[in-house]
Amino acid sequence: MKIYPILILLLFAISITAQKIVRYDLYVKDTLVNFTGKSKRAIAVNGQIPMPTLTFTEGDIAEIHVHNQLKESTSLHWHGIFLPNQEDGVPFLTQMPIKPGETYVYKFPVIQNGTHWYHSHSGMQEQIGMYGSLIMKKKLDDPDFRKGIDDLPTIPVMLSEWTDYNPDNVHRMLHNASDWFAIKKGTTQSYTEAIKAGHFKTKVNNEWKRMMAMDVSDVYYDAFLINGKKENEFPQPFKAGDKVRLRISNGGASSYFWLTYAGGKITVVANDGNDVVPVEVDRLIIGVSETYDVVVTIPADDTAFEFLATPEDRTKSTSIYLGKGIKQLTSPLPKLDYFEGMKMMNGMMNMDGTMNEMGMGMSLQKMDMNAVMYPEITGSGTKEMKHTPEEPMKMDDGGKMDHSNHNMEASSTDIVTLNYSMLKSPTVTTLPKDAPVRELRFELTGNMNRYLWSMDNKVLSESDKILIKKGETLRIVLYNNSMMRHPMHLHGHDFRVLNGQGEYSPLKNVLDIMPMETDTIEFSANADGDWFFHCHILYHMMAGMNRVFSYENSAPNPLLPDKAWAYRQLQKESNMSHLMAENDFATNGNDGRAMVQNARWSFGTEWRLGYNDMHGYETETHIGRYIGKNQWFMPFIGFDWRYRKFGHDEEEKNMFGQRNTKDNRSVLSIGADYTLPWLVIAQAEVFTDGKVRMQLSREDIPISPRIRMAFMVNTDKEYMGGLKYILTKNSGISTHYDSDMGWGFGLTLNY
Amino acid sequence: MKLIKTLLVAVVALLSFTACDAKIKNAKTETVKIFGNCEMCKKTIEKAGNLKNIAEVDWNEKSKMATLTYDATKTNSDEILKRVALAGYDSNEFLAPNDAYAKLPECCQYERNTKKMAMVVPAEKMNHDAHANHKMASSDVDQKATILKPVFDAYFGIKDALVKTDGATASAKAKTLVTAINGVKMESLPMDVHMVWMKVLKDLKEDAEHIADTKDATHQRDHFGTLSKNVYALLKVSKGETPTYYQFCPMANNGKGANWLSKESAIKNPYYGSKMLSCGSTVETIK
Repeated sequence: MKIYPILILLLFAISITAQKIVRYDLYVKDTLVNFTGKSKRAIAVNGQIPMPTLTFTEGDIAEIHVHNQLKESTSLHWHGIFLPNQEDGVPFLTQMPIKPGETYVYKFPVIQNGTHWYHSHSGMQEQIGMYGSLIMKKKLDDPDFRKGIDDLPTIPVMLSEWTDYNPDNVHRMLHNASDWFAIKKGTTQSYTEAIKAGHFKTKVNNEWKRMMAMDVSDVYYDAFLINGKKENEFPQPFKAGDKVRLRISNGGASSYFWLTYAGGKITVVANDGNDVVPVEVDRLIIGVSETYDVVVTIPADDTAFEFLATPEDRTKSTSIYLGKGIKQLTSPLPKLDYFEGMKMMNGMMNMDGTMNEMGMGMSLQKMDMNAVMYPEITGSGTKEMKHTPEEPMKMDDGGKMDHSNHNMEASSTDIVTLNYSMLKSPTVTTLPKDAPVRELRFELTGNMNRYLWSMDNKVLSESDKILIKKGETLRIVLYNNSMMRHPMHLHGHDFRVLNGQGEYSPLKNVLDIMPMETDTIEFSANADGDWFFHCHILYHMMAGMNRVFSYENSAPNPLLPDKAWAYRQLQKESNMSHLMAENDFATNGNDGRAMVQNARWSFGTEWRLGYNDMHGYETETHIGRYIGKNQWFMPFIGFDWRYRKFGHDEEEKNMFGQRNTKDNRSVLSIGADYTLPWLVIAQAEVFTDGKVRMQLSREDIPISPRIRMAFMVNTDKEYMGGLKYILTKNSGISTHYDSDMGWGFGLTLNY
Repeated sequence: MKLIKTLLVAVVALLSFTACDAKIKNAKTETVKIFGNCEMCKKTIEKAGNLKNIAEVDWNEKSKMATLTYDATKTNSDEILKRVALAGYDSNEFLAPNDAYAKLPECCQYERNTKKMAMVVPAEKMNHDAHANHKMASSDVDQKATILKPVFDAYFGIKDALVKTDGATASAKAKTLVTAINGVKMESLPMDVHMVWMKVLKDLKEDAEHIADTKDATHQRDHFGTLSKNVYALLKVSKGETPTYYQFCPMANNGKGANWLSKESAIKNPYYGSKMLSCGSTVETIK
């Protein structure tokens, strides 16, 4: 009789020891940081960037109290973690945003181990500090405990980047095709640079195919950070031969990082929190939001060895020195050869804007087309020198590289770079054999010119949730038909990457997919609720490159009573409208325009305002919708108004013989824009007064890194030609000749 | 026009003003050791360390000591010494990357005084030796000499040189190939091989001579395409002792595609060299 209470007590005690609750309190607060000499707003948690490293052991219960001390709402997503849907941390999908002043508790059992991370899933907060390591340790008696790996000293390494610009503004600038970032990076790829590099034809061909300057990343960053610092140290007095395990997470909003080590080879032991059979490489690239566990050896006493992380665009780098003593450096990665990349892209791009992989069956990062741009692989820096010694840009590098030619050529083919086909799980990862298999295909699509990123040419706000059934196996075939690589992330599940390792295919939750690659992943639908599937480049996600997998017949989420409404909020967030405006304050008048655009719609108005009635005043307003994947075609309706006084009633005749005094006119119109090869915009417009106008124009022809040319001609016999020198992000000096207003010289301000 | 002129004048004046003002402000001076050898080192060290208006390095060849003068509000000695180390020169703070040191001209290769480094260098050397051994072993495999073996060997020599985009070696190997072709005793070839040999001989020779005559890898590659086709025809009838892989890259030859032969199944593309090393696939294995 008495044994029951005791038994219950005993059970209770066991469950307490087994299910240890580990609690963290996180205070989210605005802060100021200074990475460049200027103080800028950032978000710190418990006073630090990155957010504190949270450590749990498999079997614990995680309880995280989030105290929102910001003036805006926030959220935290547990990246790569299996947890109940309502703890996943996606506002409007799994919970409501955490309001200012609110304290919110996330609580979930820890049922896995590995290197993971956590970050805000609200707006752009991830860019300005809200990322941190999340380490889930194996139990000591875990049958998969790997001696010599899991018992090494570990260092959490959080990679990230910093921009002094407000990330919302960064996003807006990307949508407005601002090339300020290219100017900062020195990657304008202008005509004069092309001619100097002997690539004039390449550039013409590139623009003929309606491509803008190419790059491997979109945003210019002021600094790259390891654990919140440009240069970090781990000054533990290691002995020669000591090994250390780095748990690396890429918390950058849009930067891939190359990882290299001054002390020799890097041994990869885990990826996305899942063990892999150790593989030794010279270098690897870590995609946005991926995690890699690597083991490195300290080769000598009293020396600190540099572990270098270089963003893919190689503009800067960040490093951590492992050990104490004199610092052994590793060579920085040489600058990219953009015109070689452009040439490659030209070969791969069809005239209709689709990519052509020429039947090479590219997948799993095995063939990095960007390699044509890597001087350390191609050794091209020196070769270029020999062929075109008149090339001043290359000479600078050349001085250093001259002697290296021989070494490089000999060694370049020997650099071992990790790719996904080299990842192998130490355990069998096959999915239940009797489960029904459903195949879904996604084509990753994008439009660099308008910074539109989508799947199957639809942004989130144009797509419904994708219904899936619990118990089925989902096989997803992804094809990247865009010009950028995309780190695709699935919430709450690990998927198998079918990489030729058969039963031992590795498990991941982020898949980097390069342009033109096709990859297949599969996972068991074994959860409940709504799960995000999206590109983890923050600016691509905010542009709409997302989908939601929704389990049929899920239990209702008590945090979201009105799911349909919440989903609309989510859709809205990733298709915001963007304003751009510019005005040229010139000696012959004001020339300017303003536009509000989202993924499909454009509302724009242009004006030319003279300083007197003779010159006249005119505005044209167009409301249009972009059609098609490439968005080359935009039909619109418009409204024109002009007023001008010639003094005597002079009439103008257009090329169709239609007469017009243009003195006073306000008419409606319909018409269309179409982007022709070489990025020329053709516009045809019919007005309510029967007038017809055809026009050809192009802006921002890159003459030199900072000089842009523009021209316009139309059937009203109006024409314009101009040059602009870009001074800063928001200003330039310009000169232009306008058939109505004559020569002008002025200052252009743009937003 | 006037406005442009005034503006130009203003810009020029501004530029010359900044140019005149080439002094380091908030100057701080430090003397540190930088390892090096000669006059040439002095140039490289100072060029690497100097930063206009911010840092200046003056290195003494005899004492190996450098005077660093820098704007203390903008930089520090670590930043300067790091740049110097990346150019190949050790200091008490930084050890240069091994490849940067190796790239220094011979006269500049000062003695590195670190026995610690001894740990790193042999490790790399060992790797290299191992690699070299490996390569030798693989080429030693086909020992049984056939009559055409020198021809095939010379062909693979050209292929390997083109993989590395090494026009000089390719040319040398092509000369070997011409000699090898001339040295083939046709009469001792089996009948079927003989037939093919007769058919391809002229083209084979012509392509080999063209490759030998130039050191321009692009031109060599044009001929390498047809050369490969003919060697393939030969190899197909004569067979080798080891499997040979007939490989194809769809991008080569301006998108028309081109073939080559290799002894390894892994793709090492001779048409683009390291630029597109892994482009292509094996279309046939000849055993």
